Amino acid sequence: MNKIVFEAKNIHKSYRMSKRNIVQALSGVDIEVRQGDFVAIVGPSGCGKSTLMHILGLLDRPDEGILKIDGQDLSHLKEKKAYRIRAKKIGFIFQGFNLIPTLTAFENVLLAGKYGGMKLIDRKERATELLAILGLEDRMHHKPNELSGGQQQRVAIARALVNNPSLILADEPTGELDSKTSLEIMSILKKLNKDENKTFMIVTHNLEVAKECRRIVKMEDGRIVADSMRK
Amino acid sequence: MLEILRNMWRRKFRTILTIFGIVIGIFAFTVMGSMALKLNKMIDGGKRYITGQITISPKGADYMSGTTGMLPVDLLNKIKDVEGVEAVEGGVSLAVDEPDPDNPTAMSFGEPATIYSFDPNSNFKNKNWQTMDMKEGKLIDKSSAEDDISIGINIAMDKKWSVGDTVAIRGREFHVVGIFEKTMTGPDGYVFMNTNVARELFVGQNPFLKSLKDKSNEAAKISEKELAKLPVATRQQIVEAKSFKVEDVSTTASISWEDGVDPEVVVKRIKDEYKNDVIVYSPKEMGELIDKASATMNAVILGSALLALIVGLFSIVNTMLMSVSERTREIGIKKAIGASPRTIAIEYTLEAGVMGLVGGAIGMGVGVLVANIINNKMASKGAEIFLLEPSFLIIVVIFSFIIGIVAGFLPAIRASKLNVVDAIREL
Repeated sequence: MNKIVFEAKNIHKSYRMSKRNIVQALSGVDIEVRQGDFVAIVGPSGCGKSTLMHILGLLDRPDEGILKIDGQDLSHLKEKKAYRIRAKKIGFIFQGFNLIPTLTAFENVLLAGKYGGMKLIDRKERATELLAILGLEDRMHHKPNELSGGQQQRVAIARALVNNPSLILADEPTGELDSKTSLEIMSILKKLNKDENKTFMIVTHNLEVAKECRRIVKMEDGRIVADSMRK
Repeated sequence: MLEILRNMWRRKFRTILTIFGIVIGIFAFTVMGSMALKLNKMIDGGKRYITGQITISPKGADYMSGTTGMLPVDLLNKIKDVEGVEAVEGGVSLAVDEPDPDNPTAMSFGEPATIYSFDPNSNFKNKNWQTMDMKEGKLIDKSSAEDDISIGINIAMDKKWSVGDTVAIRGREFHVVGIFEKTMTGPDGYVFMNTNVARELFVGQNPFLKSLKDKSNEAAKISEKELAKLPVATRQQIVEAKSFKVEDVSTTASISWEDGVDPEVVVKRIKDEYKNDVIVYSPKEMGELIDKASATMNAVILGSALLALIVGLFSIVNTMLMSVSERTREIGIKKAIGASPRTIAIEYTLEAGVMGLVGGAIGMGVGVLVANIINNKMASKGAEIFLLEPSFLIIVVIFSFIIGIVAGFLPAIRASKLNVVDAIREL
């Protein structure tokens, strides 16, 4: 069995919307993610998928619970230090691609490498390699507005991979793509998972996307109600 | 750096307007600062001179306002005997040019060209300014003829006078024997003239003194025999007229003190003994007076320039705050992929700094250009009004960068503190 790269135990998170209105976003979530997992988190809107992703991605802190990456306890990690772990151990792929508009595809990938502490020569080599793997060698020096949605998302994938993270979190990665491009992106993620043993956790409400994943975690009302492996 | 420039260029019009605000501020700062430098240089020169001697003027005259009286040579000789006094030199000063009869109150910027009496035979030596560096020729000395003059560089340029030229001043011909090196202060606009000749010119331009002199000349023609025959009252008037001597015409006198003597002690002695005859200006008092006037002037000049700069500073603050608000999404992404709060803060601070630097460099450049144009026009009149010192200009540019950094600090802190999840929720 592969090693556990990510572990969350009894995670609670609530948001105070007003003086009297407190929303319980997560109520005792337990989840383990192992090296090479390809997990889909599914569930209706407001079930806590995004909150879980934010907490797993160290973008937000749980009110309660234990969080570990590669065995390191990060439960009480302060935001001031979280960015270092985030840069090196977690890759993000967002629904809206979210590339920096003033930078070229190549520079967008380089930037993440810079935040991850890579040397310039290394990150240039890695960015070139990743963009080539993702079929963007001739679009490397184009800015996001000169790329199609699918190409932009491939740049975002390269950016997520540049620091060779332990876990890649994807929030609705095909949400803004047509069905054909969505399939393309999913096949890229699957290939990276299969060939390079990359660990993916994909938040989606698209069942077609979820079907592409080997493991499906279903959430409802801030809890995990099902966690199954597909055959 | 490239990203900073690209970010600045995203909102071209806004960036240009912001930079324009800085350009105006730094332009004002450069021009006003250069003007203050020039004035300070002039004042420093004046201060150096005035604190190197004790100056006296006749009681009732105001040295600072230029109201004149006379210091008779007998009085100056008595003051010379005061303990600690090394030498006393009486003299006059007057404008080189006669007033324009059509426009007698005409003013010019800067100090008008002035004749200063110079006695090559005097033992007086200013403690701080003992000689003039010469660009050409020599300073008038004991071997010079009475009509020899040495002149400042501004006068030479304005009047196109050269060493060896015979020139006319107030209806009398003079021979230029020397031109001083540029001093950036008073002597650039001075004519140093033999004291006796300067006194004659001074008397000639003063109707009261002129009439005294005329009467004296007339009285001199009357012999003692003829005088004895005249009525007592008339005789008395003629004797008085005869007593007028041009060498008594001194509007101020410069006093040097013996080596090792405290000039303030000498000042006190002169004040104690001649308080009814002269006003004494001690080097210390004069230095303080000049410092006070200089500080006020600098405060007014630089204060107005700083005001313009503060407006520019706030325009950067405003632009950067808007920029942070517009780029919340981007800041969220950067933080999500691992940018530290410090990295974000530095990025925004530098962007504001670069804005300040670009505006500063342009503003300084325009300021230098304008100051040079004005200086070139004024140079022919010997009244350059800006002193463009490279060190000051470098400071101006560094200052504009610092202004940008300061202006960007608050927006940068705001950007660095943005909550990642809130920023990402804006996606």
